[in-house]
Amino acid sequence: MAASMRLLLRRVIRLSHRYNNVTAAGVSARSGCCWGPSTCRCFSDVAGDRSTHFGFETVPETEKAKRVYKVFENVAQKYDTMNDVMSLGIHRLWKDMLLHAMHPQPGARLLDVAGGTGDISFRFLEYVRSQQERQKRRTVRSMQTPSSQDISNNYFTEDEDTSQESRAVVCDINKEMLNVGRKRADSMGISAGLSWVVGNAEELPFDDDQFDIYTIAFGIRNVTHIDQALQEALRVLKPGGRFMCLEFSKVTNPVLARIYDAYSFQMIPVLGEVIAGDWKSYQYLVESIRKFPDQEEFKHMIEDAGFYCVTYNNLTSGVVALHSGFKL
Amino acid sequence: MFRNVFGRLLTETIRVHRCVKNAPLTQRAIPASFSARSFSDVKDEAQQPFDTSLLEFLVCPLSKKPLRYEAKTNELINEELGIAYPIMNGIPNMIPQEARLLQKDAGASTTQD
Repeated sequence: MAASMRLLLRRVIRLSHRYNNVTAAGVSARSGCCWGPSTCRCFSDVAGDRSTHFGFETVPETEKAKRVYKVFENVAQKYDTMNDVMSLGIHRLWKDMLLHAMHPQPGARLLDVAGGTGDISFRFLEYVRSQQERQKRRTVRSMQTPSSQDISNNYFTEDEDTSQESRAVVCDINKEMLNVGRKRADSMGISAGLSWVVGNAEELPFDDDQFDIYTIAFGIRNVTHIDQALQEALRVLKPGGRFMCLEFSKVTNPVLARIYDAYSFQMIPVLGEVIAGDWKSYQYLVESIRKFPDQEEFKHMIEDAGFYCVTYNNLTSGVVALHSGFKL
Repeated sequence: MFRNVFGRLLTETIRVHRCVKNAPLTQRAIPASFSARSFSDVKDEAQQPFDTSLLEFLVCPLSKKPLRYEAKTNELINEELGIAYPIMNGIPNMIPQEARLLQKDAGASTTQD
């Protein structure tokens, strides 16, 4: 009981400090234990926490994860609607292009980090199912006149199919987003091969060499330590596995950049206020896009983490970039 | 007949907060949707079972060692570090800060590194 009271007190102190715009490292160390994903240095950290960006604000690293959590907790219910409105439905095309580039084969295992409401995983499962059906149709067509040997062979191959089921695991740090995603899955009737886990991208609760594909769509800019997330991605991927990242990036065309900036800063927070009743979260969203490194820099970060054959494609002339790397 | 019910609704919705014990009248006044909603909420929470096939690759995020599923308390236990990760609605919560220490202080949520 005493421990939880202490935690409560610390949280209250931290809240009051936040309202006074505290960025000084010393004070944050005093105000108590870290909630963030960084290792628990709460009792011994005197050297001070480093600070990082939260949109255009500067906050201690330990604060950022908590604030990002709050943002997504607030927007979870209206997340999908807002995505459609803000991107004018184009986010569906971006995600479809990610799947197309991924081209998963039946039996593949996907880890969808920051998967939240599950868009990528749903698409992945549907893609694999349609691939399987296409394969079946092809074999049926080629086996129109089977010999007795072929028929007896078929009896054995039927068992193999069941062990080759593809799986998608959705991992997100935010329970609300996962709950919304699970409700969507239930209403769409997708349940087989889909799992939900609450976890931190910087400390994934998965064993080494487990997944064929790791995706993180529009989530990596919210991670406090991107390099740690990239290293974890390398760890959980099988050798030969693919890392794919969809993220907002720098627009290449200067004219479009102007229009995009105007749209981002004038329209999106207003839409956020009108539809979701939350100006600040969408302000954070737009600012965090500006703070994220550009295509080349992010490519270097991925290479530094140990991925090979790192490439990127600009979608919608740089509004979104699709980065891909392999663990070899 | 319906006007009667509506009339009662209007006059007695305020009284509902206070006079919960006047069972017959207030029960008729409260719309059926309220009671149905509370039932469905309870159902949702208890319904989702934990998918144990996840344990094939799910490990403790701190030590990266396999976990044991405890059906009674609905938790995933790491014996070595003595912590338990809760499972809510069938979704395991693998954030170290939300894990529970097993031995002495049950109910405290702190981390061990």
